[in-house]
Order: sequence, then C-alpha cells, then structure tokens
Amino acid sequence: MVNDNTNTTKLQELHAPPKPVVVYGTIFVLLFLPLVLSTPLATEILIWAIFGMGFNLLLGYTGVLSFGHAAYFGLGAYSSGLAFRYLDASLPVGIAAGVLAPMLLACFIGALAIRKRGVYFAMISLAFAQMLYFLALSPLKHITRGEDGLTHIPAMAIFSFSLGKPLPLYYFVLVVTGVMLFVTWRILQSPFGKLLQAFRENEERAKACGYNTTMVKFWSLVISAFYAGLAGSLNTVYLGYVPLTTLFWLTSGTMVMMTILGGKGTFLGPLVGVGVFLFLQNTISLITPRWELFVGAIFVAIILLFPGGIMGTLEEKMMAYRMKRASK
Amino acid sequence: MLLRTEKICKYFGGLKAVDEVDFVLKKGQLKSIIGPNGAGKTTLFNLIAGAYLPTKGKVFLKDKDISRFTLNRVSRLGVVKTYQINHIFPTLSVFENIRIAAQVRKTSFNFWRHAASYKEVNELAEQIMTQVDLQEKRNWPASTLSHGERRYLEIGIALATRPEILLLDEPTAGMSCAETNQCADMIKKLNTELGLSIVLVEHDMSVVMSISEEILVMNEGRTLVEGTPREVSDNEEVQRVYLG
Repeated sequence: MVNDNTNTTKLQELHAPPKPVVVYGTIFVLLFLPLVLSTPLATEILIWAIFGMGFNLLLGYTGVLSFGHAAYFGLGAYSSGLAFRYLDASLPVGIAAGVLAPMLLACFIGALAIRKRGVYFAMISLAFAQMLYFLALSPLKHITRGEDGLTHIPAMAIFSFSLGKPLPLYYFVLVVTGVMLFVTWRILQSPFGKLLQAFRENEERAKACGYNTTMVKFWSLVISAFYAGLAGSLNTVYLGYVPLTTLFWLTSGTMVMMTILGGKGTFLGPLVGVGVFLFLQNTISLITPRWELFVGAIFVAIILLFPGGIMGTLEEKMMAYRMKRASK
Repeated sequence: MLLRTEKICKYFGGLKAVDEVDFVLKKGQLKSIIGPNGAGKTTLFNLIAGAYLPTKGKVFLKDKDISRFTLNRVSRLGVVKTYQINHIFPTLSVFENIRIAAQVRKTSFNFWRHAASYKEVNELAEQIMTQVDLQEKRNWPASTLSHGERRYLEIGIALATRPEILLLDEPTAGMSCAETNQCADMIKKLNTELGLSIVLVEHDMSVVMSISEEILVMNEGRTLVEGTPREVSDNEEVQRVYLG
C-alpha cells in the first residue's frame, strides 16, 4: 500500500498542467532568442506563436478544426492597419480594434456554424475566410488597396518609446507573448480549460454531465479568435503594412501545419512548431527558391519520427516511461 | 411520484422502438427495465434522459414537463444516464474524469481560477472515487483501466454530477461473475444508503431479480408486464417471451 502511494505521487505529474517553471522558463529563454536568430525572424516567430496558441486551444484542446483561421488573423491585421493609417490610432487603440473585430466575427461565424461538426465546420470557416479575402481583394479595394496590401502604416510607439527598430519591437512583442503564455496556462488549468479537454475527449458524455457543449465550442472559438486577432495586429505593427495574404487560405493551412508539427494539444507545441517551421523556411529559402520542396520533405521526416508532433510525441514518451516506472 | 412518462413513443421511420409506454418511478425506488434485444429499453432510457426527442407523449419530472429538454438540461435537473458502451474521457486521468463531472454544479465557464482551488468539487470527486473504488488508479489515464474498472468509472462520472435519479444502462455488461455481484451490491448500496432513485436496464436476470423493487418488462416497444420480481418471474407471458 505504501508502495502504491508513492507510485501515485509519481504519476501525479502526468496530467498536471505545465508547471510554472515551464511558463517562466520559456519566457526567460525567449529573452535571448535575438542572440541566436535574426531579430526580425525571432519577432515573427513570437507573433505566429501567439496565433498558434489560440489555434491550439481550438484544435488541440477543444478538438475543433477551423480551416479558416486566416479570417481572424487577417481581420485583426487589417482592422489595426486601417485604424493606424486612416484614424491615426495609437498603438493600444489599434490593437484593441485588431482584437475586437475578429472576436465579433467569431461570434457571428460561431452563431451560424458552431453546431456543425468536424469537416463541415472546417469548410464553413474556410468559406468565410475566402469571402473576406475576396472582399479585401476587390470590392473594398479603395480602402484595403487590394492586391498591393495596405501600405503607409506609420511606425508605432508606446509611451514615446519607438517600436521602429527591430530590437525594441522584439521585446514589446515578447511582453505580449509572455502575457499570452501566462493567460493560456491559466485557461488550461481553469474549470473551463478542463471542460475543453473533456469536450474533445467525449462530447456526448460532457453533455450528459450537464454541460452546454455548444457554448463550450463557441467560447473556445471566440477566445481563439482573440489570439489570432492579437497576432494579426502585432504582425501589422511588425511589418508596417498588411499583405493581402494574411487573409488567404494558405495562412490558415500554414497554421494547421505548424500546430500539428509542434504537437497539437500540448502547451509548448505551437511555439515549437512555429519556430521550426519559420526557421526552416527562412534558412532554406536563402539557399534555394524551391524551399517548399525541401521543407516539405523535412516535415514528412519529422512527422514520421514524431507522429504526435514534436512536443506531443515527447510527452507521450515521457508518459509511457513514467507509467512503466509507476507500475513496477 | 418522481418521474413519469405518459404514453411515450419514439419511432425511427416505420420502426416503433417505443410505443405508448407509461413508466413510473417513485422516490427512492430501484426499478428495472428488462426485455429481449430490441425491446426498446435503451430507447426508453434515452427518451427519459433527453438524448432523444419523443415522437409523441410526455416525460414528467415531479410534474414538470421535461419532454422537450435536451440531454444537458435534463442532467442538470438531476436525471443522469450512464452508457451501455463506455463513454469516458479516455486520455484524462481517472480523477479528472470524475472531477470534471463534479464541477458541473459549481462552475463551468470560469477560465481564470485554478480548477484545483474549488475545494467542494475536489472533495466530492474524492468521495466518489472511494465509492466506486478507484482510488488506486487515481492518476492513471482512463484509457489504461480494465473493462470492469471502466464500468465503475462510468457510474462514477454519473454520480459526480449529484443526480437525483440515476439511469444505469447495463452496468454489468461484459463483467465477470464476481465483478457482476460486486457491482450489484454497489448499486443496491447507492439506492439504500444514498437514497438515490435508480432505473436499471440489465440483461443479467440474477442481478435484476435480486436488487430491484419493481420490474417493467418490455417487448417490441410496448409494456408487457409491470410488477415485483416475484410477479414478473411467475408471469406466463414473460416466460414465453423471455424463455421462448
């Protein structure tokens, strides 16, 4: 019996949400990222990691595939960009616009389509994203500048601290990323976060327990749109312009790939997936213009080695090891 | 009268799965539904639990019409079903499986507070773990449990929502003889010690005869006989349908 108890304590770590040290440790490591990678690449990684964290909340933890997350990312990017360019909005106001608009869109899409399941929901989100893409491409050309993307966005400053230079911008984005890592961590160990996972595991049973599962899905989507909008908005600040491709379906597809590569349903998966993806893309595209070919081959190799994504498979292995030790 | 159905019907196309069944459950009663395969037992269950909408007829819980209520609303009112085929949360730990059900009456959409800080929820979950005898497996993923243990977890999840009426759908399905007896004892205990009203669908006649107060026999979607175990087993009609 004594033995049993120690085993139980050992195993307790299995399902515990990430320890605080993981969250703070990650932020600490990211402090030094510009020393290893070029600062713009590091900034891009953080921005996409925020997008990825939100997407992972929906795909990895709630088990809902949206194939149109570019809609929220792009709408966030455009909302901020338009506010900066035409309304001379300050940084916080612009970001607020870039976060609120996608959340409202998510409420709308959610209200219409959230009852649809699996591939139907994925396709409906794709359709909405493509609608936005074509809206920005031509009917709204006079304000979005169509194919050229939205240019002439002034450099931003916060507390009279210019974000025009790469390094200050990186640390600004890092602060936001740190906050979002922390928020994600809190969400995951909250009753709502646990409910998301229960929903993913067995929707029918979650319902039988008395939960309104439609609302679970709905809020997961809206929160996810918050992350995507925030990332899109930061992307605008980072690039100083909004490319039309932020709304394109390829952006959604890339996000799905990054999340799966890093390990969906793991805390650090999106960050790792985004990091690996963008690093490979940047490095290999310097050598050859046909970088997709090589990056694609590397992904195939990674997924063969890590079927659950990089972090996903590592976690599985760790768990198998602990279970083996506990049952000895 | 705690729960009552009034001429309830469920048709799937031309098939009358449940046809004008009047089912009555008194408070604190342990009542079983038996019948040959395809008699409509599980369908009747699902109608009561809100998993299916009735084609005709009504379901009343303490005189409140709950016929059109969805599964989650009925569950919140305290009528909770278990599943014939295990419906658990496989990758979550055994404790988490029960805890998630236990938090339903306390909180569900709080996304900031730490789930472990809800003391009442945790205490309830721990207590249920003891009731279904799974403490030793506390932190194991539910997918690693044996079949018998999963059946217990299945009941544990339902219990954790603090139901007033527990609908058990073949709880002993696939269990060994010894496990079945143990499980029957537990069900009886839930009924007598916790005062839960229980509706039981069961294939194992020895379980049904030994623990139920009353039995409803169904055949081809209709009520065949209703009565005490004694009356039912003496009934000629039942013997004909059941034993051929």
